[in-house]
Amino acid sequence: MSSLVAHRKAINRRPVGVRVSFQLVQPATPEEAVRLLAGASAGQMSVLGGGTDLLIDIDQARASPRQVLSLRKMPWRYLRWEGSSLVVGSTLPLRTLELDRRVQQQLPGLWEAIRDVGSPALRARATLGGNVGRCSPASDLLPMLIALDARVRILGPSGVREHPVDLVLQESRKTNLGPAELIESLIFPSAAPSTYMWQRVQPVNDISQVGVATAYLPDAPHWRIALGGLQPRARRLSEAEAVLRSARPTHLEQELAAQEAARRAEFVSDKRATESYRRRLVAVMVRRALQTTIDRMPRPAAARKPSR
Amino acid sequence: MMRSDAEPKARGALEYGTDLEAPGMLWAALVRSPVAHGRIVHMDLAGARKMPGVVAVVGPDDLRTLLPKAALEVERPVFPLQEIRYRGEPVAAVAAETLAQARRAAAAVAVEVESLRVDARIEDIFPEWPSAAAADDPHVVGHVHARHGDVDGKFRTAELVHSETYRTSGVHQVALEPHACLGEIRDGTFCIRTSTQTPFGLREDVASVLGIPEAKLLVEGSWVGGGFGGKGSAFIEPYALLLAVASGRPVKLALTYAEEFELGRTTLPAVIRLDTAVARGRIVARRVRLLLDTGASLPGRDFAVGYSIGFLLGPYRTEAYDIEGYALRTNKPPFGPHRAPFAPQSVFALESHIDGLARRLGADPIEFRKIHAWRENDRTAYDQPVGPFGLEAGLEAAARTAAVWRTGIPAGHGIGVACGFWSTGVGAGGEARLFLQPDGLVILEGEREIGNGSVVRGLSVVAQRVLGLPANAIRIQYGDTATAPFDSGVYGSRTLAALGQAVEKAARALEKTLATRVGAPQVRLETKNGQVLVVSGRRRQKLVDLLTPAERAAGGLEAHGKHYGAEKKVDASRVLEGTVYPYNDFAASVHLVEVAVDRETGHIGIVRYAAFQDVGTAVDRPAVEAQVEGGVVMGLGTALSEEMMWTPDGRLLNPGLLDYRLPRIRDAPPIHVDLIEGFAGAGPFGAKGIGEPPIIPVPAAVANAVADATGTRVFELPLTPERVARALKLL
Amino acid sequence: MTDAALALHINGQSRRFASVPDAERLLDTLRWRAGLKGTKEGCRTGDCGACTVLVGGEPTLSCLLLSREVGDEPVTTIEGVAAVPIGQAVIKAFAEAGAVQCGYCTPGFVVALAAQLGRSKSPPDVESLVDGLEGNLCRCTGYRAIERAVALARKAVQ
Repeated sequence: MSSLVAHRKAINRRPVGVRVSFQLVQPATPEEAVRLLAGASAGQMSVLGGGTDLLIDIDQARASPRQVLSLRKMPWRYLRWEGSSLVVGSTLPLRTLELDRRVQQQLPGLWEAIRDVGSPALRARATLGGNVGRCSPASDLLPMLIALDARVRILGPSGVREHPVDLVLQESRKTNLGPAELIESLIFPSAAPSTYMWQRVQPVNDISQVGVATAYLPDAPHWRIALGGLQPRARRLSEAEAVLRSARPTHLEQELAAQEAARRAEFVSDKRATESYRRRLVAVMVRRALQTTIDRMPRPAAARKPSR
Repeated sequence: MMRSDAEPKARGALEYGTDLEAPGMLWAALVRSPVAHGRIVHMDLAGARKMPGVVAVVGPDDLRTLLPKAALEVERPVFPLQEIRYRGEPVAAVAAETLAQARRAAAAVAVEVESLRVDARIEDIFPEWPSAAAADDPHVVGHVHARHGDVDGKFRTAELVHSETYRTSGVHQVALEPHACLGEIRDGTFCIRTSTQTPFGLREDVASVLGIPEAKLLVEGSWVGGGFGGKGSAFIEPYALLLAVASGRPVKLALTYAEEFELGRTTLPAVIRLDTAVARGRIVARRVRLLLDTGASLPGRDFAVGYSIGFLLGPYRTEAYDIEGYALRTNKPPFGPHRAPFAPQSVFALESHIDGLARRLGADPIEFRKIHAWRENDRTAYDQPVGPFGLEAGLEAAARTAAVWRTGIPAGHGIGVACGFWSTGVGAGGEARLFLQPDGLVILEGEREIGNGSVVRGLSVVAQRVLGLPANAIRIQYGDTATAPFDSGVYGSRTLAALGQAVEKAARALEKTLATRVGAPQVRLETKNGQVLVVSGRRRQKLVDLLTPAERAAGGLEAHGKHYGAEKKVDASRVLEGTVYPYNDFAASVHLVEVAVDRETGHIGIVRYAAFQDVGTAVDRPAVEAQVEGGVVMGLGTALSEEMMWTPDGRLLNPGLLDYRLPRIRDAPPIHVDLIEGFAGAGPFGAKGIGEPPIIPVPAAVANAVADATGTRVFELPLTPERVARALKLL
Repeated sequence: MTDAALALHINGQSRRFASVPDAERLLDTLRWRAGLKGTKEGCRTGDCGACTVLVGGEPTLSCLLLSREVGDEPVTTIEGVAAVPIGQAVIKAFAEAGAVQCGYCTPGFVVALAAQLGRSKSPPDVESLVDGLEGNLCRCTGYRAIERAVALARKAVQ
């Protein structure tokens, strides 16, 4: 046989764009939804929030559920402030958060991260719950959720549990949610000066090569730095945070934190950027994001604009 | 004046290829190869045939059964009989009652393939510039070599030799509307309705691929949701027709975006080496070495190289040159035209090179270009006289704007200039048929307006200017290839410039006929209360009174015009190998751009843009300006973000719009459009074509602005932040 | 699994479609069942905006929405937008500004812009209106004419 003959293989994968069939179930209450999920056989039922990821996954043969459980009728499209903490129902469209003045003022980093997801029409469907459930390493929201110490309220057969988002996320398409559990809401414990910055080839509707979220929380440790664009998921960089010892760290401290972040982040190379470029970006962007966050802290002097 | 198609398009009222529908229609899906190079060992279509809703399944074995004379050894055969040449190449097709059924059946086809070695990159084929023996390399499908003057002598005695290598990436047209068509057999005639730039070219091409007489094939264009070169010759139409033969029903085929990217006929990567010899501050000689990826093309593919290579000398006087290029076959879909095919890429290399050379010589980049710029009656590299050419005028205008921009320019910003040259109004010619009716003029057309306005506005304006009719009294009527007059299509910046001449002749014939009838030396037309009036001196007569009963019955006074172009010549003695091509009209572009470079991340922001465009005569100024704005922004995509990324085994990594990044509304900078008139082209009233020229200098202008801002040159397109960061040695 | 019927509220009318598969997208229901082909099919991945329609008054990508997920929210397509004064003003502005070339993206732009202009008594400024179009791709115009159309349309509805 000629050395050119490497192997034989058959087409066994569905080509992109196949419109598969599945059964859509639309439970009327959270309890019914949990019951349906609990009764489904493993891997056969997918949960549909806004659909902006799942439907593409189905089209491109990355998911092929027999049944799709819709959250459309869940009473979770709400946004409410409880004191200075914000509670967001998991199926509230991102667009509603984006258009909310108070969100923009009190959680500027969250607002920026939301604003950077897809396009307005996409944000009309995409949800916070969907972003957490999908756990995409490229998500622009997850680093900000981590930096803001958001908590996830999870509803399941044995009731409700609540965890920091950092403990819920695992890897792409994987969280610690049980098979019959659903994300009911997200809780942002407090308003916080915060910033989300990214680097992309294209400003709009592109995947960020790196996303940097910084926040200054009322509770210690005050400074939070989280990164997106790395595998297996967005993560907090406590080593870099530890460099920052005051509400207004010096330029040197900011620079050191940025260097530490660049050193600690485990990046990979892919079609969107190489590992070394991502590392370089982190060093620059953490510094810029920290400065912007400092500028956003309440103080008499006029705030500077973000230097993107 | 508003375009007549604008409002119906905005309402969503017009039928595009994707909208086509016919009673009893089936939907088609393609079975595509999982490997980039291989041999089909076995394909089992029986399973797919039994699936729900499936009416017809056709594969390589069915081709000759259904169409005994189908062509097999063509660049795009309907199906490869044996050898698969690129990943995603269609190997079978399915027609079913619904699209979902067709896709499911296509997915169920099991194809057993023996994998062969994949040649995905030209650098792997020729890591170094090939030796003379390379012409025999099986990957070489085209070889062009031209030489003139004492090149070696001039390089030997040069004061300075400037040598650089540039690389460019594959870019896709991405017309928003994917390819879509509907095929059916009516009374033994093959009928195809399709979204195409070239109904007549398509008829010739599809007939030859299917092995049927052209007379048995009818092509009718739908409205076209963008072409940019991608909707020309036979592509998806043969599959729809083959399935129509097999099923006996109308068949609709529309590509998905993933298929658009994986099957598309696009610009492919290239490596360009340029050496320029300088004496006394002037360019005296150039060597050009071009390796162009032409994908799964067949031998004889020297057109792409032969046409491109001249642009690597630029619109500049060059006493001596040696230019050589190879078209190389790789396991990608065959190379195809994309708005000024390969010119933005070759001009990126050349104009970056010239710019760097000027800086090296301490010369002003605009002045340096002006010194060498072609003027009318200079000779091209192939010794063709240069026609009226607005390059020098464009450079002078650009210099004035650059001086204004230069004052108070912030740190980190840079200004870049680049020139482009293009031959417009090309093509195999065309004919026009006009009908003057009592209530207005009808222009019968085979090709639909594809978007740029050249049909719906351009042709009408020509008739309007000859006859004096108001725009609302002129209507374009679209026919099919059986009823409409021949034209070679909407491409090559030729519709107004070339077909417009046929319309002009027909309109003049009408005018002459009417002048004779009223016994006046000349007439013009106007309308009153919806009636066409023939005006001679002070006399106004209703057209309807001047028509014979036969003319009235036939739908009006008919006139014809033809334009098959003038033969241009090149000096063949300068061509050692392959074919080079003469130019038609000479259209110049001079572009200026200001960028802001983030020196920490490599991100480029476009601050403002100015395009000085030699258009001959702007017969329809708003439409011409629109072409310039559109071309510039499309060019910014090529410059900054658009890039097809293939793996070494020939898989496209970004077959979709998430990672193949098009400019969006916030990416469009303020664009100052300055039309340079007075250097007349051969088109009506001195018009030159404008579809392609505005995209050509854009990537080079941006690269030169980045070099101006940072002192660093980027040698590869597109200038993504990471490439700029690497050039800036940030990592 | 048999496909059930589906009722939708489209352009002010109640429409009922027999046997619609659960996996069907609103885009396909509109184009191939309701016969409303003014909504254009582009990328089907939510990246081009050609298929934009209003669902509950909000610009929505109909390629990424299951028809059964629409529920009782009203759907307005370009055909519906073109029937109301704001939509007509936007269409006229696009035509007058030379913002229509191949026209394939135009209905999506018109729907997205008309929704923003219709949202409140006093229209947002041009900048934020343009921001609202960042999900809509146009390959022909270079967007400058579209920005001029936005300004014209805004003036017309004021």
